[in-house]
Amino acid sequence: MEETLQTPTDYQLEFNGKGSEFFSVTIVNWLLTILTFGFYYPWAKARKLQFLYGETSLNGDSFSFHGTGKEMFRGFIKAILIIGFLYSLFFLFLYLKLPILAIVILYLGILALVPFAIHGSYRYRMSRTSWRGIRFGYRGNRKEFSINFFKWLFFTIFSFGIYGSWMSINMRNYILGNIRFGDVEFNSDGDGGDYFMLNLKGYLLTVCTLGIYAFWWQQKLFEYYINNLSMSKGDKEIALNSTVTGGGFFKLAIVNILIIIGTLGIGYAWVVTRTMKYIFENIEMEGNIDLNLLSQTEENYKDATGEDIGDFLDMDFVM
Amino acid sequence: MKEKTIGIFFDGESAIPKEIEVFFDIEKSVLVFETENNQIHSWDLDGIAFQTKSKNTYLEYGNDPIQNIKISDDDFVNRIHDFRKKEANQSWYHKLMDMGIKAHIFFTVFIFAIIGLGYFYAIPWVAEKAVIIIPEDYDSHLGSTFFEQNMLFNDVDAKKTKALNLFAKELNLKNTKKLKFTVVNSPIVNAFALPDGNIVVFSGILNTMKDYDELVGLIGHEVVHVNHRHSMKMICRNLSGYIFVSAILGDANGIMATIGDNVNSFQSLSYSRNFEHEADVEGFEILALNKINPKGMSNLFNRLQDKEVVTIPEFLSSHPVTTERIKYINELIKTKPFQYQENLKLKKLFLAIKN
Repeated sequence: MEETLQTPTDYQLEFNGKGSEFFSVTIVNWLLTILTFGFYYPWAKARKLQFLYGETSLNGDSFSFHGTGKEMFRGFIKAILIIGFLYSLFFLFLYLKLPILAIVILYLGILALVPFAIHGSYRYRMSRTSWRGIRFGYRGNRKEFSINFFKWLFFTIFSFGIYGSWMSINMRNYILGNIRFGDVEFNSDGDGGDYFMLNLKGYLLTVCTLGIYAFWWQQKLFEYYINNLSMSKGDKEIALNSTVTGGGFFKLAIVNILIIIGTLGIGYAWVVTRTMKYIFENIEMEGNIDLNLLSQTEENYKDATGEDIGDFLDMDFVM
Repeated sequence: MKEKTIGIFFDGESAIPKEIEVFFDIEKSVLVFETENNQIHSWDLDGIAFQTKSKNTYLEYGNDPIQNIKISDDDFVNRIHDFRKKEANQSWYHKLMDMGIKAHIFFTVFIFAIIGLGYFYAIPWVAEKAVIIIPEDYDSHLGSTFFEQNMLFNDVDAKKTKALNLFAKELNLKNTKKLKFTVVNSPIVNAFALPDGNIVVFSGILNTMKDYDELVGLIGHEVVHVNHRHSMKMICRNLSGYIFVSAILGDANGIMATIGDNVNSFQSLSYSRNFEHEADVEGFEILALNKINPKGMSNLFNRLQDKEVVTIPEFLSSHPVTTERIKYINELIKTKPFQYQENLKLKKLFLAIKN
């Protein structure tokens, strides 16, 4: 007995996770991390991501995170070796009484790791994420991305940070534009100029309104990110649309702060699930791609080094 | 015995959902189902990853491609779950997850208790012991930096300094580092030891002394602080709380600032009760070793405590003198055998230092 289920023409993105469930995940992770003197961290991270991805669903089917603690532990060891190597160079030059060279090498080394880490994180995260068994993928080219990254960084420094808006949007466009969901391509068409004006206006109004406008600024930014994102497959398309409001963000933030203060931080799990719920509730998808016809195109990629370097540098790249 | 239910199968090649009938064969511990073209699949229970996601259960099988079955039938899932529990196929993580919210709240309390104990007891203790790995050069570096910065603005009395150094030379102080004494003209009633062996004595405290044995008591006490690297240990201790918090919050920049703060407060760095006790006991031994009347030590403390009524001598805030400590020294005087004799050379030098 077998039949192909009806093709849905509309798309429903949801986050179903409950705060109490995420609380349990977090607490068990903490407990095991403490009892193992921190060595459980990669496994804890895998459990956390598995929960958050698993509780997110598209048309009633959950996303999956397939990354394992073992993979991330290997990446963690590699990341330690790479960063350890940089630091040993640093101390070597200090020992040779060349402190300026030592610092320059350390900082340039860490800076050079940033595009490497971003690229690695995306390849790993995307390849380890799936929906109905269909993997995501990141097809960016590391060399191309690194060259662009340093070019943009150079412009940003020499424009005293003004080019920073273009840099972040260019990066977004490049990275998101290289994401595949099976044979569906993601596209991002942000523009640095628009983004710059958005932030300038947001900043000025926030200052004028003593911070109250910040929530509406956040709304505009979120809208800008989401509305410029789309998916395509051949001549078919899905457009994304944000329905968040400044008032919504305001309410979300106030309640989150009250939860954190009222529970002395224990309510963190509820803050995360509330926020995820709000965000996914407010992303609409519209278009004519038949999701049943997605096919597996992206390869497996199990090297978590980039992801772990990202953790070391205290950055969370994946949007 | 067989159980059956309806599931949705994804073959890992396309996203087309296929409704299937799944059979769970308990004896063979396999899942069996049939897909198009009458193809029979048999999944070994040990190879299946069970995950509850968004209220449905997903069974994952295989590596590349990963195949999936989505099951919404809770009873069926629970029966498999119970079966696996009996077979002890559960990971630690799942066992802990299954313990329920009450256990998790208990874990929370446990974790907070560990963090609290760590913060208040374990970490400072470890930090204090960790001083061994900090090279003594660093002590000297911090000490001389402070000395150079601070003595510039202080009125150093060259004559008294010379006399005090001669005074100390007469004594066997069991010091591990070269000691250098400096007398500063100031009404401040204080003396402090820097980790590099510099010991600064203010004329204010010298003026309160009546006899040279009190000065030996003071020197003996300060030297013990230097010998045992007490100030470095206190810095590590003070720093440990900060390191702990910043490890949690992920901020490392503040550590250097905290070292800086502590260096600036060498003068008023407050030693712990244990360090004071150690300095008293060993200071007493130094007095006995040099055949000086150990009463000098308790006399000095008594005098400082009397003075406290009018103005609190700084020495007391950095070296908290308690009645307990004076009592303990008196106890030592009573119980420990010692001999002392008048040392005319020291007496003469003491007078030179005082005037």
